[in-house]
Amino acid sequence: METKKLTFLALCATLSLALYAAESALPPLAPIPGFKLGLSNIVTLLLLRRYRPRDAALVLAVRILLSALLFGQPLSLLYSLAGGLASFAAMCLSGSILQKKLPLLIGAMGGLAHNGGQLLTALAVTATPGVLAYLPFLLPAGILTGMFTGLCAWLADRYLPRGPSS
Amino acid sequence: MYKQNITKTPKAAALAICAFLALVTAACLLCLWHTGRSSGQLTAEVYLDGELLWRIPLDQVETPYTLEVPGPQGCCNRIEVRPGSIGVVWADCPDKLCVKQGFIDRPVLPIACLPNRLVIRLCPAKDSSASHAAPDAVTY
Repeated sequence: METKKLTFLALCATLSLALYAAESALPPLAPIPGFKLGLSNIVTLLLLRRYRPRDAALVLAVRILLSALLFGQPLSLLYSLAGGLASFAAMCLSGSILQKKLPLLIGAMGGLAHNGGQLLTALAVTATPGVLAYLPFLLPAGILTGMFTGLCAWLADRYLPRGPSS
Repeated sequence: MYKQNITKTPKAAALAICAFLALVTAACLLCLWHTGRSSGQLTAEVYLDGELLWRIPLDQVETPYTLEVPGPQGCCNRIEVRPGSIGVVWADCPDKLCVKQGFIDRPVLPIACLPNRLVIRLCPAKDSSASHAAPDAVTY
């Protein structure tokens, strides 16, 4: 990988981590565990739009590992990985069939998959079917917050200067 | 021909994805509506500052009565318990959102008074032991 691009992707990982830290400092928006804006997803969406999925996946993996090391409890790495993997797969898939257009919808799919994946992991970890009671709240919430991050990514894509070419 | 292909595919895909998202949302709303309706016996749980104050089986209430909850900063709420429902009838907090929420008779959305740190939630009477159990840790 070219040094310029490596530096750029590292910068993106830092930005993503900073967004994650800033978000965890905000008071929770709703008293539902698992409900969050997912601001660091903006970076993933932007990279998926401008670069190859491989680059976005790399930045996402670095962000998840670092955030778990810096802020997380042992289990949070598992939840983060499950949510990140699910949302990345959903965004890759919807991004390719939408030909990278309409980041609002790509973000919505990502948010939906993130919350779904995380809740399924919680179901597997806690082995209590009771957590499924959150599903009807978390899935629409994921769609809404995903649309918000999609909107942010769209705006960021319009106003941020282009990085090194892929 | 090729150009047409490029402009047409995302539109169909976008419609399909929109339909999928709408379907998921509708299913979730239907699910919430259903759980809200199918609950027979309800237990109200009143929390102050995260601590459980009272657990009231609402189906055993025959005549309405009121309870006073003094808050930490001098805020105060008056709760009225009725057969099958519960609500805040008076509060000295500035916005009175808890009073405006009215009486709840479904386990969907709890009543919360943030200035007083008061939360009233309903849960089905039978599995209340399972559903009120707080998680050990919340990580995400």
